[in-house]
Amino acid sequence: MNLSALRELYKEPACSHNAKKETPACPRPTPGRAAGGCSFDGAYISLVPIADCAHMVHGPASCVANTWNNRGSLSSGPSLYRTAFTSDLDNNDVVFGGEKKLFKAVKEIIEKYSPPAIFVYQTCVTAMIGDDIDALCRAVSAKTGVPVIPVDSPGFTGTKNFGNRLAGDALLNHVIGTMEPATPHPFNANLIGEFNIAGELWAVLPLFDRLGIRIICSLSGDSRYHQVAMMHRARANMMVCSRALLNVARRMEEKYGIPFFEGSFYGAANTSDAIVKIAELMGEDGLLEKAKTLCDEERKKITPALEELKTRLEGKRVLLYTGGVKSWSIVGALQELGMTVIATGTRKSTEEDKLRIRELMGDDATMISEGSPRKLLEIFNKYGADVLMAGGRNQYTALKARIPFVDVNQERHVPFTGFDGHVRLAKAVADAIENPVFKLTRKPSPFEAL
Amino acid sequence: MTELNIVDHNGLFKREEYQVSREKKKAFEGCSSADEVQKTIEYSRSEEYKEKNFKREALTINPSKACQPLGAILAAVGFDGCLPYVHGSQGCVAYFRSHFNRHFKEPFAAVSDSMTEDSAVFGGQKNLIAGLKNAHAIYKPKMIAVSTTCMAEVIGDDLNAFIINARKEGSVPENFPVPFAHTPSFVGSHITGYDNMMRGMLFHLTHGITKGAETNRINIIPGFDGYTVGNIKEIKRILGLMGVEHIVLGDNSEILNTPMDGEYRIYMGGTTLDEVKDAMNSKATFSLLGDSTAKVTAETIKKDWGQKYVGDVVPLGVSGTDAFLMKVSEVTGMPIPAELEKERGQALDAIADSNYYLHGKKFAIYGDPSYVEALTDFFMELGAEPKHIVCTNGTKKWGNGLSKKLAAVDFGKKATVHHGADLWQLRSLMATEPVDFLVGNTHGKVMAKELNVPLVRIGFPIFDRHHLHRYPVFGYQGVINLLQWTVNTLMEDLDRNAGEHNYDFVR
Repeated sequence: MNLSALRELYKEPACSHNAKKETPACPRPTPGRAAGGCSFDGAYISLVPIADCAHMVHGPASCVANTWNNRGSLSSGPSLYRTAFTSDLDNNDVVFGGEKKLFKAVKEIIEKYSPPAIFVYQTCVTAMIGDDIDALCRAVSAKTGVPVIPVDSPGFTGTKNFGNRLAGDALLNHVIGTMEPATPHPFNANLIGEFNIAGELWAVLPLFDRLGIRIICSLSGDSRYHQVAMMHRARANMMVCSRALLNVARRMEEKYGIPFFEGSFYGAANTSDAIVKIAELMGEDGLLEKAKTLCDEERKKITPALEELKTRLEGKRVLLYTGGVKSWSIVGALQELGMTVIATGTRKSTEEDKLRIRELMGDDATMISEGSPRKLLEIFNKYGADVLMAGGRNQYTALKARIPFVDVNQERHVPFTGFDGHVRLAKAVADAIENPVFKLTRKPSPFEAL
Repeated sequence: MTELNIVDHNGLFKREEYQVSREKKKAFEGCSSADEVQKTIEYSRSEEYKEKNFKREALTINPSKACQPLGAILAAVGFDGCLPYVHGSQGCVAYFRSHFNRHFKEPFAAVSDSMTEDSAVFGGQKNLIAGLKNAHAIYKPKMIAVSTTCMAEVIGDDLNAFIINARKEGSVPENFPVPFAHTPSFVGSHITGYDNMMRGMLFHLTHGITKGAETNRINIIPGFDGYTVGNIKEIKRILGLMGVEHIVLGDNSEILNTPMDGEYRIYMGGTTLDEVKDAMNSKATFSLLGDSTAKVTAETIKKDWGQKYVGDVVPLGVSGTDAFLMKVSEVTGMPIPAELEKERGQALDAIADSNYYLHGKKFAIYGDPSYVEALTDFFMELGAEPKHIVCTNGTKKWGNGLSKKLAAVDFGKKATVHHGADLWQLRSLMATEPVDFLVGNTHGKVMAKELNVPLVRIGFPIFDRHHLHRYPVFGYQGVINLLQWTVNTLMEDLDRNAGEHNYDFVR
């Protein structure tokens, strides 16, 4: 990717990291600190859930060896996305260039698997030795008729979040709008940024089925290449969770006039809001009414279970450390359960996210912009929290410090979305707090008295 | 109390609404008929496909190896107060931390200096200077071990010069140890990285120091070992029973097994600076997994330290443990105590108890070279027969050596060694010539399920089972652990597939 194109992406106008700054840019990591994933990681995990495609990593074997089949993004059909493809560059390739090898490798994938499309990911090494994957992908596509999509995502361009944006850019440039649905449908919608972790998409999909709303594409959980290619036929886009693929929603609005909104399926209230909003954007009153009724019914169904869980959760204090939309949407879900969120992580949140946090938690809401394990533990103890909800890399730190922990990031194994998901979330938190091991570990060991 | 009805998502697609939803989705898949899909799957399991699969030239599918810096930072955390620091792009380190989190179920501290496209153009010196300064201030380590990612290596950053300059700039105090190693991922694998970092440690921490008088101690280097937590403890116990004094170089068994007592530790245990210096005077260094120290570490010990180096004995299996004990006894002159002889007898007894279920069973195995070879020897001790041996990061020399060795023993004659092959090729091998069980890490679970072969989980990484890494696989205790994992996996499989007429209480 040339530098000017890269700068354009940094300037994503809908991202409010950029809104008020003179030289717009998303936050960069500090040298010498524990850092999160890179742009390649972000791009790869954004697109890998497109389940019927081959995802080919052009670089040393380890870029993919460290990540393949590592996320709980589930597929209801094809499983090709679980396979790791790489050009496995060695010393010679670094000296003489890896293009030939990549060309051969992509052809080998087509011969062996004949996938509907292949995504080719650029990594640090191949970007630095100057391999032109754009030209190469064009050439293979022209020769074979199989779409080969370059994803220009060398790790050094920035953070994981920025990698999400690079992935979105690849889809906008090469995929979205390239196919038409075989059957028209009056109520088409997309869910952008829903990755079907632990089947979270599936927890809400039946609700749309019941309303007669067709989800053309969930980008990218449990999606198929053709679905992504047909996304432009939707009447509404919902940005689910995190600003990851915000550029997709914004540019689809510009290009195809598809309105988008940000919503969340965490918590019964958020879920209702999201479903009603989508129904509203479909522009038919009957549908809107139907959606409202459906949500009311579903909320009623889970009320007894939630009420019971509330008796276990009322007044409990949570430290939440996650990113983007989750930094406010889970706050709402927890407050519905009678819990107090003492602080929430905002490292990956935007000004708009923060505004919503203030709305929910009040003006003096504690926001954590830097979440080293030590810092989190400090805040946890300072505010006397009962449970930490964060991502996998914090799990073991928390447990060492005798802190009950609930995974709300990609390694969770229980779907928390939708109405049922709210019950599951409540139960996960209650169980984590009440697990006997914490009582045992907080008591002084019996030997201390000896 | 109302019963909470929480649906487990594993069972979702048994429900009607989900089956309908899945059918609808097929409209977007533009895919072939079920019949055609089935035919293609069968073709992919054929002899013809296998041949093509092995003719692949450019494409690697499901590689079973990781990269150099992963090995480097596992070596680095084995030293007292040492913070692993990776010079290069940030994402690599995030991957490594997740890898160790998920395998050891432990926090893992490691930092990066987050090079970006500016550094790609101008070099990474600025990042290193700022990074060392920040890391030193924030994490308060006793030493910082620097390794590199591909990015720094492609640019050709000179760590030695950069670190000297960082010192001049006051990033770290003058005498603060900053051992380093160049660890490009496009060369070798994680075991190469372990080797480079271990050498970096030993070289930098003892450089310019004169050797003292020789002691009767031995040094132990654990190597890149997913079982380090159990193995090191066990090796220390064995050496204790023999009365052999020892220094473990790169003892990461404590930091990867910290207690839940309310304190989160970044550092715990590990080899101290003084111990490393003292290790120069030991009688010999035993590298328990020779593949992890084969090149530069071995060289440093032999040449720079002028010390005996033993890198060809893995204390795994009965014969492997025998050979280790004999060698230790030979080097130190200390006898092997009756206690260990008794343990040996107990291990043999256990093997005899289970031999009926293992004799003649064919198996496939993949992993790192030293482990694969030692485990193959062990399984042959049980009467099992290796069939497919795959080692993505095995060299040609290693592969040929093992082939020759296996051809000469009765139980090894059916084996073929595929060094440099990947797991997609192993799938072809298992589909065309089936085996009774598969030995390897978590990455084998998909093919094991597809081909209905029980997977005995031994290796690194193991993400999908808990606590296996806490057990030793070395020594006679290790024999019993390996044996029970294997035989009980086979018995579980037997029960799962048994008809009612064969669902026995006594196995």
